[in-house]
Amino acid sequence: MEWAWLIPVFSFAAAPMIVLFGRFLPGKGAILSILAIGGGFAVFWFVLDSWLGANTGTSGCFTSENTGMLTCDYERSWFNAGIVGAVGSVTLNWGILIDPLTIAMLGLVTFVALMVQVYSLAYMKGDPRFGWYFAVHSLFAAAMLTLVLADNFLLLYVAWELVGICSYLLIGFWHERPAAREAAKKAFIVTRIGDVGLLIGILLIWREVGTFSMLDAFEAVRSGAMSQGVTTAAAILLFLGAMGKSAQVPFHVWLPDAMEGPTPVSALIHAATMVIAGVFLVARTFPLFEAYDADPLIVVAIVGLVTALGAATIALVATDLKRILAYSTISHLGLMMLSLGAFGYTAAIFHLMAHGFSKALLFLGAGSVLHSTEFQETGEMGGLRKVMPVTAIVFSIGALSLGGIPILAGFWSKDEILVAVNDHRNVTFIVLTLFTALLSALYMGRAMFLVFFGPLKDQNSHAHESPILMTLPMVLLGVLALGFGLISFNWPGSFGGIGTFVFFDPLRGHGESFHFEVWLGALSIVMAVAAFFAAYQVYVRKSISLDGARARNSGFLKIVENKYYFDEVYQWIIDRVVLVFSRFIAFFDRAIVNDIIVNGPADLTRKLGILIRVHVTGHVYTYTLAMAIGSVGLGIFVWLRVV
Amino acid sequence: MVDLVYFQLLSAALFVIGLYGVMARRSAVLIVMSIELMLNAVNINLIAAASHMDGTGKFVNFDGQLIAIFIITVAAAEVGLALAIILRMFRNRSTVNVDEINLMKW
Repeated sequence: MEWAWLIPVFSFAAAPMIVLFGRFLPGKGAILSILAIGGGFAVFWFVLDSWLGANTGTSGCFTSENTGMLTCDYERSWFNAGIVGAVGSVTLNWGILIDPLTIAMLGLVTFVALMVQVYSLAYMKGDPRFGWYFAVHSLFAAAMLTLVLADNFLLLYVAWELVGICSYLLIGFWHERPAAREAAKKAFIVTRIGDVGLLIGILLIWREVGTFSMLDAFEAVRSGAMSQGVTTAAAILLFLGAMGKSAQVPFHVWLPDAMEGPTPVSALIHAATMVIAGVFLVARTFPLFEAYDADPLIVVAIVGLVTALGAATIALVATDLKRILAYSTISHLGLMMLSLGAFGYTAAIFHLMAHGFSKALLFLGAGSVLHSTEFQETGEMGGLRKVMPVTAIVFSIGALSLGGIPILAGFWSKDEILVAVNDHRNVTFIVLTLFTALLSALYMGRAMFLVFFGPLKDQNSHAHESPILMTLPMVLLGVLALGFGLISFNWPGSFGGIGTFVFFDPLRGHGESFHFEVWLGALSIVMAVAAFFAAYQVYVRKSISLDGARARNSGFLKIVENKYYFDEVYQWIIDRVVLVFSRFIAFFDRAIVNDIIVNGPADLTRKLGILIRVHVTGHVYTYTLAMAIGSVGLGIFVWLRVV
Repeated sequence: MVDLVYFQLLSAALFVIGLYGVMARRSAVLIVMSIELMLNAVNINLIAAASHMDGTGKFVNFDGQLIAIFIITVAAAEVGLALAIILRMFRNRSTVNVDEINLMKW
């Protein structure tokens, strides 16, 4: 199990090798990238297998008193700051922490990254920066894998920032396009704002505990060495970082723009890396959130609920296919946060994985559609199932899964979230969560029916099914989106369902199998089916017209269509506050620092020089004359004194 | 025995002529010659003063001659140096006109 560090190292090694030697290798080095992530995926299975065979006697393993899960920690000395053993010196270790949360994430990241990379072979074919794309892809996956393996906050932060810079590079991959450049900058800067909170939170923990080790921090919280105030503050600060990365309101604005990158990149960012890092961070540091009265979790729940609901409404009116999917991601990330905020640890991670497979599938499907039709607006599509049947089927599987149709993965995980919210939060939460689930089914149905059903437009008659390299990853993801939910059950002879694998129960030290609230499950099935049926009636049969409703609610509709004016408000703040302040700072720098403090003395010296340089004429006779007059004057002076 | 004041008048005349030369001449060589003139004017003054110490024309004190010989030595060294500088100056600038040697002014 200690060999799990190989998983990110493969991809880390692949990235520079592709850049340096890629052009001598088949596929401009893409083969290296795929081998590396494939190797990581293989090692993941060994890690999973050895974890299942491990017990508290295995070296490095113990039952964590903070999470209740069997946890294995392997660390090596990294570096010392200060004199070893002296007061104030810091010894830093780097190490890997393997518990079911890590294993679940490893599986998700390696599998989705592998699928996306294989897909990209065909999708990015002919791109002038083909090799560079795969190099950054490798680095991205490696950074994300390091993030989930890290056992201390410092290593986590390094990986966190690496994820950020890789997403910047990939979103702005087609940097010839101004929109891509802007989107990349926006993603980087918006997430940076959250990262400041994360950094302060980490430093706060370090100041209290004196180490960056997560396990020590959790231990300090459990033993009461970290007071309630500090713990709450640290948790909120960490959550700020998570909000930035996971695109929670009000930091969500970067994610919809991130679709300016190549579509497989969107699939990776939305499903397996980047955005789920925030959810992972909250799950990883859950002992901090849950300690004392679990106050931070209320914040998490509220932010998650607002995000889920707001983004779902926007997804319902967006017309750009990738934008619909992007807002759907934000909405589902909100659901995951909400679930964490309602103590639904298992449900959040389960939904993270189910959503990861489904959303990767949806984005790859969208990429397949764009690849074939060159259109991105849903209004330009329709009836595509006739020309691209495989894409249509797998896209529908993804959409139905996220919409919450039974048997598919998304249904089970969403149901878990509903149960958690119902158990731990009040009635407002559960009603709004159910409403979000309804909206989720509606917009998924809308996207699916608008794109693949109805009459085929003439402009798309030349559209064709994508090559096997693109359909195969989609089909594999489709199988998972279809069947992944079944691991939630306690099948005979199996390990007892995901509920006993990933859980958070430090007191009892074991999780619970999946349980099902009949009325909630029935309600969500009815709602999902009704929503898809309604979407079918509206967008395919056109037996229900929405024009009347649109006209009556045009005011509200306008607000939603403009994404609640978040971008406009931010633009206003930037123009009126940030830039004004920056101009003031720039003026201060130019006028005070530069002109007075730096150039001032130089100017004074020059002016004095001008005053006294007039005697240096460059003519010998002036000097001689001055000398003669001086000598005579001196002589007269001495003579007068003597006489 | 010639009166001391005539020597002093000669010395003063030579010194002023030398001073005029230094101030008015453009050529560096002539300026050096003028400086030599001034130095020798001082020498005449010193020797004359030394020989008139007791009013008889007999040498009773060698201080004047001593300083005069010292001045001649220094003048020889100074001329060697000055001519070397002037030579280099001519090689570099193709002129010995001091009005054109004005790089060090503002």
